[in-house]
Amino acid sequence: MSLYKSGQDIISFFSTLVKATQIYDVNNDVVQGAAKKFISYINSLFTTTSYIELLRYRDYIFFNRVRLRFEIEGYTSLQFINEKFKRLTIKSLSFLPGVSQNEIIKFASVFKEDRDSFLKLYAMEKFKFINIEFSSGEDEIPEFFQNGEQIKRSYFKALKVTKNLMQNLWTKQPIDAKSIRKVVYTLIDNLVQDETGLLALTTIKNFDEYTYNHSLNVGILALAMGERIGLTKINLVKLGTAGLLHDIGKVEIPKDLLYKIDNLTNEEWESLKLHSLYSVRQIIKTRGLDEIAISALIAAYQHHWNYDGSGYPTLGEIELRPIFYARIIRICDAFDAMTTPRPYHPISYLPPIAIRVVWERRNTYFDPTLAKIFVQLLGLYPVGSCLELSSGEIGLVITQNLGYFDAPVIKIVINSKGEKVDGRAIDLSLEKDIKIIRAVYPQTYNINPASYFKVG
Amino acid sequence: MEELVAEIIISLTKTIKAFQMYGISHPITKNFFIPFYQKIEEFLKNYKELSFRIERFTMLHSNLVVYEDKERDTSIAFKLFRDGIRNITFYEGLETDELFLFLETISQPLKEQDIALSLWECDFSHISFYVVEEEESLTYQIPETRIENIDYDTKITEMIQLEKLDMTKSIMPDLNPDELIILKSEISSDQKKEMQLLAINTLINFLNIEKSEEIINSLIELSEQCINNNDFYNARRIIHKLNAYPEFKIIERFENEVTILSFKNLPDTLNEKSFNEFIAFIGFFSKKTVPYLMTMISTVKRKERLESLRYRIAYICQDDPTPILPFLEDKNTTRLINAIAILGIMRLKETITYLRPLFYHAEPPVRMEVVTALAETNEPMVIFEFLNDTDPNVRIKVLQTLAQNRYPKIYPELLRRIKSREFPCLNFIEQKEFFNCLVVNGDHTITKNLERFLFKWVLFGKANYRAIRKLAALALAQVGSEETLKILQKGIKKKNKEIKSACETALKQK
Repeated sequence: MSLYKSGQDIISFFSTLVKATQIYDVNNDVVQGAAKKFISYINSLFTTTSYIELLRYRDYIFFNRVRLRFEIEGYTSLQFINEKFKRLTIKSLSFLPGVSQNEIIKFASVFKEDRDSFLKLYAMEKFKFINIEFSSGEDEIPEFFQNGEQIKRSYFKALKVTKNLMQNLWTKQPIDAKSIRKVVYTLIDNLVQDETGLLALTTIKNFDEYTYNHSLNVGILALAMGERIGLTKINLVKLGTAGLLHDIGKVEIPKDLLYKIDNLTNEEWESLKLHSLYSVRQIIKTRGLDEIAISALIAAYQHHWNYDGSGYPTLGEIELRPIFYARIIRICDAFDAMTTPRPYHPISYLPPIAIRVVWERRNTYFDPTLAKIFVQLLGLYPVGSCLELSSGEIGLVITQNLGYFDAPVIKIVINSKGEKVDGRAIDLSLEKDIKIIRAVYPQTYNINPASYFKVG
Repeated sequence: MEELVAEIIISLTKTIKAFQMYGISHPITKNFFIPFYQKIEEFLKNYKELSFRIERFTMLHSNLVVYEDKERDTSIAFKLFRDGIRNITFYEGLETDELFLFLETISQPLKEQDIALSLWECDFSHISFYVVEEEESLTYQIPETRIENIDYDTKITEMIQLEKLDMTKSIMPDLNPDELIILKSEISSDQKKEMQLLAINTLINFLNIEKSEEIINSLIELSEQCINNNDFYNARRIIHKLNAYPEFKIIERFENEVTILSFKNLPDTLNEKSFNEFIAFIGFFSKKTVPYLMTMISTVKRKERLESLRYRIAYICQDDPTPILPFLEDKNTTRLINAIAILGIMRLKETITYLRPLFYHAEPPVRMEVVTALAETNEPMVIFEFLNDTDPNVRIKVLQTLAQNRYPKIYPELLRRIKSREFPCLNFIEQKEFFNCLVVNGDHTITKNLERFLFKWVLFGKANYRAIRKLAALALAQVGSEETLKILQKGIKKKNKEIKSACETALKQK
């Protein structure tokens, strides 16, 4: 069994046990049964591993160094444990060989308490086979955690590869198909490590090179959705490739049309709409016809099909539901397109507005279930959003808060006097006194959100 | 520890050599692999992880060189180093399958393949590797935010109004149980076959809008995949579409001996739907494939499917017997019979001419097939000649064939043969077919004649004649007129027990 699966199971068994102690007496059969299961499971793990450690860094939980992803399955348990760790300021929790059923029940009944009671009871009980390390606020980056610099480096490498690919196709130069594969694999590795870090990079919007940025951003957003849904690695490869290459057909559209500032004529608009068709041809040129290319070309062809059967290219009378990957890309493409300034709409939508558009158009444009997952993933105030706060300050969303879609973690960038500051980070799920008043354009305050992620 | 690492490395090199020399499923390969796995497992039990640093021609463990091979073609270190792998670590819990896959991957001759990408695709749980990116300077700068000379707050209000949004409305994006179930089933469903179908639809849709060589070539590739997977429905759809582009000669790609002979087991193994698709698919073939098709169908065991295939070949021949004629001289009886049958299906005027040399073929099944083929020629007297055949099965076949259509011409001759002295000596089945044929081809005198057969006074050979009475009674019942029924009822009242019993049986069957 993989470490990842073991980690998921540990989280599931442990949260069941803690929840049972919240409801029942420790001698109740439900608690005893849950503890028995947990003990039996960790004892089976001790045959192949000498320690069991749950570690929290940022909003991530690691089991024996392997990061556990927030998948739909097991989401609630992971969220519960993460929340408890955060509130009890636990950095890591270890179980050692020899831990007994009684000790585990005792610990669970302490773990369920609020921070003050927990600290008192934990100090009193002196657990022999359960160790806790407390968080000191700014924890060191774990040695096995990929640093942000590497993720940024991978992002820009991916951007360069995407740009090279499209430019080579534009100029009919040979393409390096292997590098595209590598980009997708690297993005998946980065995402598994730190999806927040990678998603933050999608706030980079390059007006002059938006086609490349857009392709990469859609690839990242789609992969983050796929990861949240719990797709297997090979399916993530298919989805990521589809996301990255969905607009590749634009290389067949004349550049003057692609970058036209004025309103498009009907004829021009019809020509532009052919890009999803041309993406099919370009994907075949780039990747051939393997299983991954097949998924990608179908998704690219369908990425402007709506959930209700409308969209383009039209199939006349036939109404078909787009494939799963195309429905994911449809949302990611629309969101990134709305939030990216382009020659023909230089003022992009604010991310919190674009999120609401996605929400309102579920069932018509977008798959309703996938739209929900997208909102869960990015929150109501996606990373990079600029928010006016009840304190009179302006904050920039720097990370999502697991389970709190409307209360992200923000960084103060303008103080109440209107001065630019390198302010503190505030977890809005903990600071109940500070409310979000509204989303604002960062341009109003001459802020470039991407620069706050120390990119470049 | 060092000793054990040294042993692991020796075992690794031997195992990789075995993988390369004997392949993955050979017992010798397994004989090398098992001790290798055991050694690694022993190490991991004691030390939790085993890590190797990879340099150009060497592998290092705890900063000590444990492997060195400077031959680029054989060096494991070089192979890994070349594709950017700088470290490999095995972890406690390593499974045999994982290690086997790892060795299989790194043993392959990877000319074009990138070993780092291949290892990534293996998705190991207890093996990790570190890959370096090519060192290059990334000079990307964060683009400046464009600030337009507009009132951004007004813009926000306009956007919210345009999209009719209520920014204060609460949103609950939690999935309900039904959504979760649907989502899980979508994630877990095996979409491979569906994807291929959709890819074909997509490419065909593309061609509906624009002709493209890349798309046509892709469809050709997909049609080959479909055929390899026995998906003749989609293969046929592709060929049908690509027939609009004759310059690509789509069907010619499959009109070769190797491809067609690869189909030989399909008629007996495909399900009904797929078989029908297969039949439709081979309908695209031209006459030049007939020799291969004839060989292909020679092993088919299921009769009804063989018949469908014969019809299909006749269709491919388009009334031209030329591709079939050489097979009329074939020494292989099965192929010869198929050729005769196909010729019969073609209903040509010249069929008798082509088949005449086979009238006295040594093999009765061949002569029987000739009879069947002749049935399509509307020349009953030619078929009738076969009633003199020495083989009763051939004669039975003749009678059955002649009973399928009405040939009044043969009636008197049938009567003559039934009345002959030899008739009672024939076996019952043949006699029965005679009477059956007589009823089908009889004229207004049939009732009278059957009555005579039924009530005939026989002095000698009563036992032999019993069957004839019985068959005559049955034939009367088969005619089924008022008159024949009266005759049978009259027969019931006869004292002759044989007549009575024959009539009772016939009436019961009626």
